[in-house]
Amino acid sequence: MDRSDIIARFAEVAQDPLAYAAAWKARTGKQVIGSFPMNFPGELAHAADTLPMILQESDEAITVGHGVLFPFYCGYTRSMVDQAASGKFDVLDAIMFGDHCVQLLGAADAIRMKLTDTRVIFFQLISSMCDPWTQGRSEESFGKLRDELEDFIGAKVSDAALHASIRLFNKNRALIRKLYEMRKAGTAAIRAVEMQHVVKSSMIMDKAEHTDLLQELVASYTDAPAADRNVRLHLSGHFCQAPKPELLNMIESCGVTVVGDDLYHGFRYISTDVPETGDPVAGLARWYMDRNTGVPCPTRVQNNVDWEAYLLDAMREEKADGMIVLMAKFCEPHMYYYPEVKEAFEGAGVPHLLIETEHEGMAMEGLKTRVETFVEIVKRREAA
Amino acid sequence: MNIATNPMPGKKANKLSATRIAGKLVNDYWEMVWRAKEEGKLICWYEGSAINPFLEAADICWVHGEAYSAMLAARHQEVKAQQVAEERGYMRELCSYARTHLGCAVSNQRLRGDDTGAVPDDDDLTWKLPAPDMIISAYAYCSTGQQWDEMTSRVFGKKVPIFNVSLPWIWGSKPDAGYLKGQEWEETSDYVTRQLNDMVKFIEEQTGKPYPWDRLYEMMADIKRASELRLEAMELCTAQPAPASFFDWVVSIAPINNLPVAGVKNYFETVLDEVKARVAAGEGCVPDEKYRLFFDGIMNWNKVGWLANKFANYDAAVIAGRYTHMAFWQEPGLINPNDPVRGMAQNYLICPNNHASPILIKLIMDLCRKFEVDGMVIHASRTCRAFTNPQFMIAETAQRELGIPSSMFEGDVTDESFYKDEVLNSRVEAMLEAIESRRMSVVA
Repeated sequence: MDRSDIIARFAEVAQDPLAYAAAWKARTGKQVIGSFPMNFPGELAHAADTLPMILQESDEAITVGHGVLFPFYCGYTRSMVDQAASGKFDVLDAIMFGDHCVQLLGAADAIRMKLTDTRVIFFQLISSMCDPWTQGRSEESFGKLRDELEDFIGAKVSDAALHASIRLFNKNRALIRKLYEMRKAGTAAIRAVEMQHVVKSSMIMDKAEHTDLLQELVASYTDAPAADRNVRLHLSGHFCQAPKPELLNMIESCGVTVVGDDLYHGFRYISTDVPETGDPVAGLARWYMDRNTGVPCPTRVQNNVDWEAYLLDAMREEKADGMIVLMAKFCEPHMYYYPEVKEAFEGAGVPHLLIETEHEGMAMEGLKTRVETFVEIVKRREAA
Repeated sequence: MNIATNPMPGKKANKLSATRIAGKLVNDYWEMVWRAKEEGKLICWYEGSAINPFLEAADICWVHGEAYSAMLAARHQEVKAQQVAEERGYMRELCSYARTHLGCAVSNQRLRGDDTGAVPDDDDLTWKLPAPDMIISAYAYCSTGQQWDEMTSRVFGKKVPIFNVSLPWIWGSKPDAGYLKGQEWEETSDYVTRQLNDMVKFIEEQTGKPYPWDRLYEMMADIKRASELRLEAMELCTAQPAPASFFDWVVSIAPINNLPVAGVKNYFETVLDEVKARVAAGEGCVPDEKYRLFFDGIMNWNKVGWLANKFANYDAAVIAGRYTHMAFWQEPGLINPNDPVRGMAQNYLICPNNHASPILIKLIMDLCRKFEVDGMVIHASRTCRAFTNPQFMIAETAQRELGIPSSMFEGDVTDESFYKDEVLNSRVEAMLEAIESRRMSVVA
């Protein structure tokens, strides 16, 4: 397949994840396990010979979900209950989640009540990351998840199988990180929406199938693109759900090249590998903790790690001129942390623009005017 | 100005006179907090779980974040703190308890911590909250609590030591799961107990003294007794007419939850005596009880008296609620005063939201049956998703299992701008009409 075909395939999966899952299930006869973001160890479900897929916000308008959660919830949680209540999750054999966000807990609780025939497994991950017991408690949580999985599939998940899955997932992450490096270095012109297709499809597809395509994709970037005169920006935020492709396209249409991000449907997802030796469950716990020091997340609390400092460092490395913060409306962790980022960026004299996104769609023309104005501000600062 | 602040005409709630004592106790407590720095006391900020006995026993001044925000709202002095928070970038959709409290923290740092030379106004309660010497985070269910504490620590430049206690949600999926039982319950209780014991070591590090366990034992004996008295008084509200209302129990939250332990037992003895006297005299909490309602949701602290009078004017006795009747040392039987830590951990784990819906909703239905309610009023608090999460399922279950209607209204814990009085009026009136027509159909 050539480059455009591979990206088209990734885009196809990213746009209809449940259709991919249904086709995979029909083809393999195996079980599909949906998970909530953002710290589910897909390696465990993969080692249990199932398809782990991270459940995605749908583009469809919320209908029956309005009778389950109030409209003042984030688009991700409302979309989850809407998809569950309208029968879209019938392809799933189980749903698993471990992240502690009050809105996610509400959605999971409602989904369990709605999908009485689907097993919903909860393994609460500790969200306080620098306590003496964080590693141990994380091991306990992942150990419980392993027990639940084994009970669900009716078979043991061996350490050997888990190590093999860890190696495969690490390989997949490393390949995507390679794409990030190439984009940053200017040796590969990868648009923001294409990068999203790559990462989002990795959350859904059979990992071996995805990795094979990724290898081809990475190898295809042999022609260094011509240098452009665009403003170089970092995209930040947007945790559980992917920013809408039209938003990313609009930003880039304003004379912007996205050179880095810490989006969950971006670098955050693939930032950190799991140790490939030793006890695999302890390795997953290590991965969970390392992720937050690698790319700090406001959904966790860790007093000795600063997201704003990470962002400023990342931007220096990316040679980014400014940052656009994409905040999903009603995302409480992001709302809590944003003032820290704002003050740090103002203090460092680094321009940033906050865009609040909504599930129901946004007035793109108005947003475009804001982005264009921001780009002009960044250019003038550069020129000054 | 919201029209819902004007005096309301018509019938008034017959409040328990004992609740006036609660008002005085609350005022005395905050005066003590505001003096604490001058008296050389260490100050600990915390939110959520009632860890205050651990602190009071160690002679540390305890400041509960929600309580401070609620106090500001009850006194209609919350707006300034919320504006300060908004200026720093905290958005309006954030938990208004947290937003108000963070506004106080920001204000405190600007006026006291930054050496700017500004002169604070002594009547301005926004800045007056004394800065913490330590922060302890122990929040059940709601992820916002831990993040709020973390951000507070950052407002103070991460110079204040912080200790996190993680309280897991009780998911209850195993066959043996249930209220206060099952393997998950026992394991979780053990996990939190271990953390509380580590928290005591943290307290020792801050005070530089051995922890005075005997004082904690004495306090927990008093709290256990106060809780028993409170529950006994609540139980008497099965009487018709109900002698006390949900709003009386709301006013009584501070005494059981965060006031100095010394006055708490006496307070609830007084409450119980008054409730008993009312039952004997057939005196109700509203002048003419025609309807009995359950209140689901957290309190709208700007509107306690307003809502009490509103429902009284509808001849509706709001008798019980998830907020008041499923929290605040709710299970005194679990507390062994001579070895209280595990029982304290367990009481923290049964905050009204920390059990998943199958268990939580069953408890609510049991309360509705016990108090023989005709309907349910549901406060969809805009910025408290911990409370709103299961509310559609609660309403559905109440209709399905008990055949009672529900009425939802939108408001908030401490942000008055979310409250819509006319929406509440029309929805409650519709619900009362539904109750009335159901009664008539039964008679016919």
